[in-house]
Amino acid sequence: MSSAAAAIALESVSKRYGSRTVVQDVSFTVERGEIVGFLGPNGAGKTTTMRMIAGFTAPTAGRVTVAGYDMATQNHDAARLIGYMPERPPLYDTLDVSAYLRFVAKAKGVPRAAIDAELERVTAACHLEAVVRREIYKLSKGYRQRVGLAQALLGSPQVLILDEPTAGLDPGQIQETREVIRAFGEEHAVLLSTHILPEATLICRRVAIINHGRLLAIDSPSGLQRAVEQTNSVRLEVTAPAQAVRETLGRVPGVRGVDVHAHTGNHGVLTVECRVDPGDGVEAAIARAVAARWDLHRLERQQPTLENIFLRYVGEPRAEGPAA
Amino acid sequence: MTRLAAVYVKELTTYFRSAIAYFVVAVFLLGTGYFFLYNIFLTGDATMTGTFQNMGILLVTLVPVLSMRLFSAEYGAGTMELLLTLPLRPWHIVVGKFLGAVTILLAITVGTFVDLIPLYLFGNPETTTIIAGYLGFVLLGMACLAVGQFFSALTHNQIVAALVTAAVLLGFWFVGHLQGFQTSAVLRGLVAHLSFALHFSDFIQGLVRSEAVMFYGAVCAIALSLNVGYLKAQR
Repeated sequence: MSSAAAAIALESVSKRYGSRTVVQDVSFTVERGEIVGFLGPNGAGKTTTMRMIAGFTAPTAGRVTVAGYDMATQNHDAARLIGYMPERPPLYDTLDVSAYLRFVAKAKGVPRAAIDAELERVTAACHLEAVVRREIYKLSKGYRQRVGLAQALLGSPQVLILDEPTAGLDPGQIQETREVIRAFGEEHAVLLSTHILPEATLICRRVAIINHGRLLAIDSPSGLQRAVEQTNSVRLEVTAPAQAVRETLGRVPGVRGVDVHAHTGNHGVLTVECRVDPGDGVEAAIARAVAARWDLHRLERQQPTLENIFLRYVGEPRAEGPAA
Repeated sequence: MTRLAAVYVKELTTYFRSAIAYFVVAVFLLGTGYFFLYNIFLTGDATMTGTFQNMGILLVTLVPVLSMRLFSAEYGAGTMELLLTLPLRPWHIVVGKFLGAVTILLAITVGTFVDLIPLYLFGNPETTTIIAGYLGFVLLGMACLAVGQFFSALTHNQIVAALVTAAVLLGFWFVGHLQGFQTSAVLRGLVAHLSFALHFSDFIQGLVRSEAVMFYGAVCAIALSLNVGYLKAQR
């Protein structure tokens, strides 16, 4: 199709199972050369969204296109452009790794003459050399996960969809897998879901946050950070009467709100939380106002981590539900 | 074609890497050998007619074991998600799997040729009748496999797939026995048309009737089309 089409584009996509809405009105695009992270708690709709992009299931409403192909109707034409690794690696336990990868390569239409080289390439990329002749049921979880990734990389797809690619890997393997994804993402489009927030900051150019089937935000990690800094906070410990501190801080320019808590176990010391405007001068102004009258023990600006950003968007973490 | 072949090779490899294919082939050949000896010594006739009859019922009971895993195992292993997102058309998957299972059926068929050796050594059997019988056997097996494969696509549970297939196949096998109870000619005709056993008995008497060939062909076509339709509808 036209080369101008985004690698992945979702337009107001919804998916309902009976009366249950799993994904609602989700729109975003992923361009070539871009790695986008998909963040959300269990049951948020990540897996269902990825299944729709991979063409495994069709949306109830809206449109999913991959390289311009409508995944509801032209999924067979688009399939050769897509590498998909489902949440649970789709493996045939009784086959050995090389027979399995050979099957996937042939099904993807890799020319017969190129299959051996292609198998070599993905086994090297996923560090599977030691197990190519082993039956899949004998493999450890980490190896199974990487066979699942190797399968997705076969045939050099333009678009890679990875559902929790690093789940179940040990730290060294996570590092290696991230390198594989990062290298692949330089020229192709990658959408990966993850629970691990630092992972998103490390390898993703943009992060999409989804909860209860709705897309809450999509931006670069630093962009999300800036958005949350709008309501940044400063925390201080001070020995002072609560009422007087509240009044004094309320008059400092840039302070929007003040919460005072009595410090447990330390008589007269208060912990004060100020919501402040972004900018550098505020904590200095607070320090001057407080230190002029009372003993200031501690003052720190709370840096929003991706964890905070994530929790801010999705609210308190819910009890683990079944993954959608 | 290479995609169909990919599914076929994968299916056949999985059969031979699991115990099921060996089990079914072994049970079938042992059973057939037993019935063969029994029929020969009982009748003293050097024919395959009685043995073919027994092979038919043995096939109907063993096919569910062969067909139960075709789709149910894919659901169980989560590999359906792979198959349906690879550049494979649903018919590639359905036909590739079917041909894999039919290959096991052909292996069974070839295995029973052992029984023909004493038949030709010590008797004077009618070759054309035997060929007709084998043709009927393979057609019957294909129809049973197609039905079994369809039921395997409907459930995640292999045991359920096998039991439902066995019930349906035995129903189609014995439905001909209802003929004697029917007073209306229409019902008698209908029951006879649907019977797997009655069409099969034509073949083992050396009669290759186009109607019987078309019957088994139609059963395969209907079951496989339903199978393809079901895969498409699941999205």
